[in-house]
Amino acid sequence: MTALSLSRMDYDVLNVVVLKKMATADAVTAVSGVDPTVVSDVLAALADHGLVVVAGGSALPTDGAESALAATAADRYAALRDDDAVAGLVDRFETTNAQFLTAMSSWQQVDMGGRKVANDHSAPDYDAKVIDRLHKLVTRLGPLFEALAGHDPRFARYPERFDAVLAAIDAGDHDLVSSPTRDSVHNIWFEFHEDLLRTLGRERTE
Amino acid sequence: MSSPTVATTGPGGTADAGYTRVFAEADPSDVDWLGGKGAGLARMTQQGLRVPPGYVIGTGACRRYLEEGTLPAGLADEVLARLADLERAAGKMFGGGPVPLLLSVRSGAPISMPGMMDTILNLGLDRAAALAMAEATGDARFVADLVARFHAMYAETVLGAMDRGEGIDELVAGVAPADDPGAVYDRIWDACQRALADDTCDAVPDDPRAQLLGAVEAVFRSWNTRRARTYRDHHKIPHDIGTAVVVQAMVFGNLSADSGSGVVFTRDPVTGEPGLFGEYLAHSQGEDVVAGTRTPDPIAEALDPAVLDELGTTCSELERSQGDVLDIEFTVERSVLYFLQVRSAKRTPEAAVRIAADFLHEGTAPAVATRHVSPAHVRQVQRPGFDPGEVDRARSGDRLLTTGIGACPGQVGGALVLDSDRAKAAADAGGEVILARPVTSPADLHGMIASRGIVTATGGSTSHAAVVARALGTVCVVGAGEIRVDEASRTLAVGDRTLREGDEVSLDGSTGELFAGRFPTATPAAATDALAALLAAATSASGCEVLSRVTLPADVAEAMAAGAAGLVTAVDDVLAATGHLDGLVEGLLGQGAGADGFGGIAALVEAEFAPLLAAAGDVEVGVRAIDLVADEARELLQQTAVTTRHPELSVPLGRPELVRAQLEGLRRALRESGSGARIHLAVRHVSDPAEARALHALAEQVGPEIAVGTYLTSPRAAHGAVDIAAVSDVVWLEVRTLQAAMFGIPARQLLTAEPLDGYLRRGLLSCDPRTTLDPSVQRLLQGVAEATDRSGDKVGMRLSGEVSETAAAQLYALGFRRFAVDAAETRPLILALGKAGLAR
Repeated sequence: MTALSLSRMDYDVLNVVVLKKMATADAVTAVSGVDPTVVSDVLAALADHGLVVVAGGSALPTDGAESALAATAADRYAALRDDDAVAGLVDRFETTNAQFLTAMSSWQQVDMGGRKVANDHSAPDYDAKVIDRLHKLVTRLGPLFEALAGHDPRFARYPERFDAVLAAIDAGDHDLVSSPTRDSVHNIWFEFHEDLLRTLGRERTE
Repeated sequence: MSSPTVATTGPGGTADAGYTRVFAEADPSDVDWLGGKGAGLARMTQQGLRVPPGYVIGTGACRRYLEEGTLPAGLADEVLARLADLERAAGKMFGGGPVPLLLSVRSGAPISMPGMMDTILNLGLDRAAALAMAEATGDARFVADLVARFHAMYAETVLGAMDRGEGIDELVAGVAPADDPGAVYDRIWDACQRALADDTCDAVPDDPRAQLLGAVEAVFRSWNTRRARTYRDHHKIPHDIGTAVVVQAMVFGNLSADSGSGVVFTRDPVTGEPGLFGEYLAHSQGEDVVAGTRTPDPIAEALDPAVLDELGTTCSELERSQGDVLDIEFTVERSVLYFLQVRSAKRTPEAAVRIAADFLHEGTAPAVATRHVSPAHVRQVQRPGFDPGEVDRARSGDRLLTTGIGACPGQVGGALVLDSDRAKAAADAGGEVILARPVTSPADLHGMIASRGIVTATGGSTSHAAVVARALGTVCVVGAGEIRVDEASRTLAVGDRTLREGDEVSLDGSTGELFAGRFPTATPAAATDALAALLAAATSASGCEVLSRVTLPADVAEAMAAGAAGLVTAVDDVLAATGHLDGLVEGLLGQGAGADGFGGIAALVEAEFAPLLAAAGDVEVGVRAIDLVADEARELLQQTAVTTRHPELSVPLGRPELVRAQLEGLRRALRESGSGARIHLAVRHVSDPAEARALHALAEQVGPEIAVGTYLTSPRAAHGAVDIAAVSDVVWLEVRTLQAAMFGIPARQLLTAEPLDGYLRRGLLSCDPRTTLDPSVQRLLQGVAEATDRSGDKVGMRLSGEVSETAAAQLYALGFRRFAVDAAETRPLILALGKAGLAR
């Protein structure tokens, strides 16, 4: 199993399953952009190789999935890993990521004279400022998305997903800021971070 | 007001085309002209607060700009003439010394919206101003920082630069306080300009007047950003309102040791305790506090006594005049106190209740005192927590296992589970679970959703576990570094103690504590006193009767403690809760057709209502009769099977024997309980006076002890309420069912977030039937409000689910004074009705 190098499409599908930990074929299509008519076949093939388990319409990764992705990524993204422009933007991402986590905290918690208290979302001005901040932080990732998409077009799905979720938030669906069960800003960001680390062959520090 | 007003002169120049107004002269109520921010500053100034002087460029100038595509003729002259006035008022020079005038330029639309240019600070910082600033502070490093900050902010907000230039931070860090300020300015400014030119081929103007006009135009332009337009389209805000621009002199908390900035609350926003609560950071600007790079000090320790005294006096005067707890941003510049912003303070539910109770006690007008406390606050405060005495004993004993970082507050207990799949399985089986993990990832989501509490060994307050738990509202402790989760042996070790999966633990998401074992729960004592005072005031203001819905004898004490004037219950609920559902369904399905078929039901009612009535004592008890048509009965009572075999059970009086059996059971239960309760049996779905009359005749046959009521659910019933009430002992109307019927939506959909949240967002309904009475329903209820029953009472309103403050106020305004509600909603409803009464 360890020597297995995944095809491009297998990687893209398995990557989504690993990022989501549980994904329907529709979810895989929505995130990877892989043709919905072939996703089920790809999942079935991955299941044959023991990389996913399909149960109740959802695919779950097996223990071997991550190492298969890691092995393939080392090969597939060798050029990307050597790209100084990407490296520079990734360094900047660390800062932006820290700012994002702070923004996410300030969405959920308000500072009251030095103490953190749950945000009851009763002050629209306060919430609007945090949403503004999220827009800015996502905008700041633009050059990184562009540089990554130059190596692999699948990364262009991230700005599209962010645009869609931010538009929905502006339209009033504030649950999409941090909802753990929907394609929220927090979830997309978290997935992007995981994906980026795998692409670069790095470990998460926190 | 204690602080003297800073003199602000009127328009000085000759070029006054009426585009601008100074804070001191603008009419604060003219929000359309001034925008929200400008109106707020005008109000503060005119209240006598020492606000840094400034002026507002009105929305009219923006509209002209949007029409003409260029700054309207005369605006530049007027803006610069105002600037001259501002220099005089502030005693500072724009683009010069000895003390340079720096400006903040901000957008301020009448309706706040996203996507607009926000703020530019430190505008006016040219070479001369920078030198003067260095002279005033004796600190070239400070000036370098200021220059870099201003340049980055202007470049980003006005010129659309993406990132501040590379290497600038290092350049600033390399400046020593004693460096030559001229050389420092040149070095930083040139580096910033070069980086910007690389990025955008653009430059920040050197001339401060050009900077000012550039910033004003940028604010106007930002009215039409894509995001702002989309937002206006979506919220149906006209595109031609335009934004105002606020131009204000800056004051500097980082000028000297006797300068600084801070935030103060007029009462503690966490506990509600009276007395100033705030933080102050000497030698700093507000941003430093926000950025969290330095830790501020409590104001009582850090502020100069004279300034503290002035702040305290002003705060109490402001609080009294506004009748609210306020959150005030201030800056001290060379020992002079300036007010930057005053707004209603955010507060915890505990604080909201305490503040309202204290305001009432202090003599604030009740309508004002209760304005900022809501049923949602009451719901939070009444939530029971660990018994504090038990927690103290557990701490001093050996039950405290470890303390991590509290990430989402709350106190819960449950069985320890170390794996998300097993946590979900245990919860699905009805268990209460505390999930402990080394760390969480999206793979744990199902387990986190199923658990009452989550504890992780690693991670900080922004970790995955913390963010997800807060989004779910689940109690969470992270970073409990001492715990070691051994997934193989299913044990959790802390120090030399080992817990096994399934062991009971308790978790406090505020203090971050993990305890062995469970705690008895109690309503927090501190909250109870304040809450009791508040609700007593609400009850006397509304003059309403609120009955609480109970099912078991044990529910009664809690309902009465919450302030219930009486109780309501339902025969099917009581029999379900006491395990007699099978007997009931058998009776209904079975040869119940026969003469004695319902005798078994009478016996069940007697057996189970006697203890409930004994617990109830002498209050009014409304009992809803078995209802086979209700949504809730679908599975519970095998609705389809029963009504297929006995279709007559689908109409209220289709089987009089069933009603008689319940009346008989209640009569015997009452006698047996020895209770003095006033009981009525209310029959749902009655819509005709003839039904009400038949019901009454039936009750008379059973005996005088049990009254009968009608329980209206349909538009037809509401329409004919006056005639139905005239022949009924008691009348109830179920508001949710009526709303649902008028909308043609299943009533159960009015208790959930979806599908209505999404539907309303799409703009497909003009009224949210969960929170607001539709005009069609209001019209029907106007007729209902004229009805009185045989004892002269008005029709009672049955509410279900979470009480809406809006709907409660609407019902109160229609004249209804009798309500019944789920037990947990008793206090929230009492408050909502009290506020409605006080608002009149």
